[in-house]
Amino acid sequence: MKKATIIIISVIVIIIGLNLCLFVVHQTEYALLIQLGKPVKEVLKPGLYFKIPFIQNVAYFDNRILLVDAAPAEVLTKDKKNLVIDNFFKWRITSPLRLYRSLKNEAGAAARLDDIVYSELRVDMGIHTMTEIVTKYRGQIMKTVTKKSNEKVKPYGVEIIDVRIKRADLPEQNEKFVYGRMKAEREREAKKYRSEGREAALRITAEADRDKAIILAEAYRKAQTIKGEGDSKATKIYAEAYQKDPEFFEFVRSIEAYRKCLKKKTTLILSPRSEFFRYLQKVE
Amino acid sequence: MDWKNFNSPQDGGRGDWGQQMPPSISETLNKVRQVFKGRGPSVWIIVAIIFVLWLLTGIYIVAPDEKGVVLRFGKFVYETGPGPHWHLPIPIESVLKPKVTQVRRIEIGFRTVRVYPKPRYKAVLAESRMLTGDENIVNIEFIVQYLIKNARDYLFNVRDQSKTVKDAAEAAMREVIGKNSIDDALTTGKFKIQKDTQQLLQQILDSYKAGIQIKTIQLQDVHPPTEVMHAFKDVASAKEDKNKFINDAYGYRNDLIPKAKGRAAEILNEAMSYKATKIKKAQGDTTRFLKLLSEYEKAKDVTKKRLYIETMQDILPEMDKVIVDTSIGERSYPLLPLSSFQKSTPKP
Repeated sequence: MKKATIIIISVIVIIIGLNLCLFVVHQTEYALLIQLGKPVKEVLKPGLYFKIPFIQNVAYFDNRILLVDAAPAEVLTKDKKNLVIDNFFKWRITSPLRLYRSLKNEAGAAARLDDIVYSELRVDMGIHTMTEIVTKYRGQIMKTVTKKSNEKVKPYGVEIIDVRIKRADLPEQNEKFVYGRMKAEREREAKKYRSEGREAALRITAEADRDKAIILAEAYRKAQTIKGEGDSKATKIYAEAYQKDPEFFEFVRSIEAYRKCLKKKTTLILSPRSEFFRYLQKVE
Repeated sequence: MDWKNFNSPQDGGRGDWGQQMPPSISETLNKVRQVFKGRGPSVWIIVAIIFVLWLLTGIYIVAPDEKGVVLRFGKFVYETGPGPHWHLPIPIESVLKPKVTQVRRIEIGFRTVRVYPKPRYKAVLAESRMLTGDENIVNIEFIVQYLIKNARDYLFNVRDQSKTVKDAAEAAMREVIGKNSIDDALTTGKFKIQKDTQQLLQQILDSYKAGIQIKTIQLQDVHPPTEVMHAFKDVASAKEDKNKFINDAYGYRNDLIPKAKGRAAEILNEAMSYKATKIKKAQGDTTRFLKLLSEYEKAKDVTKKRLYIETMQDILPEMDKVIVDTSIGERSYPLLPLSSFQKSTPKP
């Protein structure tokens, strides 16, 4: 009985003892052994480690890539335009010892890094125009800022992996100006479409009118040719026939013309001596 | 992710041991004493059972959509696939089971307020508004879908994974939009923008070794800011107007040309009928003349006179006639009030 009690008590004591002497460093952590307020040893690999109970304690640091999402801030570009820059950056702790000595912990480091990145960003924004920042130089600016701020943060035992401009937008008062310009551009475009439409329509109708005129003129030409043929043929027929006795033709044609021309309401002044009235005077 | 919480269920709260000691020790001792009084050797059985139970804490099941990641004293040792497994008992080893086949989704520029019964969305202008390469402003709403490519990288390399994806996606989208014009974004360039953004985002995440695979980037709604929406819509209606103008013109032409062709045919037919008429008439006239002529030649004088008198007889009754002697007529002719003859018709 005594033996068993001793075993159980000793097991419990061992567990407590181990718990005080051992500590686990997780895969995602670095640890720093602090002896009476003074950092003594960095632990950069995960696993089980020893410490001296009560004298040493452990500070843990995240070894993963960490994110700082900075508050949006206005910067001035080279062409004196304001841009609202919202950036974030990725960083990691490389040396818990140096970090502990300089900035104490992760939160302190994040605040310091934010300041450094922001000031570097301001500097680099100042040497580019707005268009450059928005369009082609964005990647380059981010790389430069990453590199420059990385040099500055090295003493703190941290590393900046990537600075990214999440948003680069215009401040509200400038947006109004952009809207005005966009509106004008669109109105111009709309006008262009409408006048293009009118131009094309006009061209089509003009072509149609022209085609119509050509069709009718061509028809007129053909019609006149046909009529001319008719006239010439008729004339030829008449000429051939009337040539046989021109004098008789003249007579026949004349009396026919009289029939046609002298109608009602025509007042004819006749001489009694005319051929028609020859017998009205006397019979020869 | 909070590792302390993540591990605590399996850990059995090792940190609290010291405080629980006094009651648990006396209780256990009492129990042990009772057991020992009754039956001597069974204490070893209890110890053995406790030991077995302890071993059993190492059993875990990995679901089909998960991956098991085993840590020994916090250090990664190996990965396991779906199915039941065993690891060294707590607290020596522990297991993490990330869902690797689950497609995660991030909404940027909008949030789904509810899906059922009627989907409702809320716009987040700060996220969606961006500057295009031609310095226009456009609102782009999109979603990012991603899954875990590498469980170990995903768990151990980057903290705040989903925020990382979101921030990087926003940065990537803006970078891509910054290289495109507003017309690309609104119309034809959408597919390319999606592709470029996905590529860039994947590149960024890979540079962090985030263990994340971007499945798709999908543009949801791309529209110009409300302030200028009207102008953009007017461009669309201007395009329609353009087509309308052109169609109207074609309509006019399609009406005009057939009519003209019809008219042309009419003119031609008219001409042909004129020609035919002319010729027939000539033939008719001359045939008649020739017939008459052949008779006339047989008795010239009589025929001529007959024709003359007949004609006069036919036309004179219709007319007003004044018969004046030539000598008088020659003198008075200019003074004649011609109208008076027309009213009163003095016949000879």
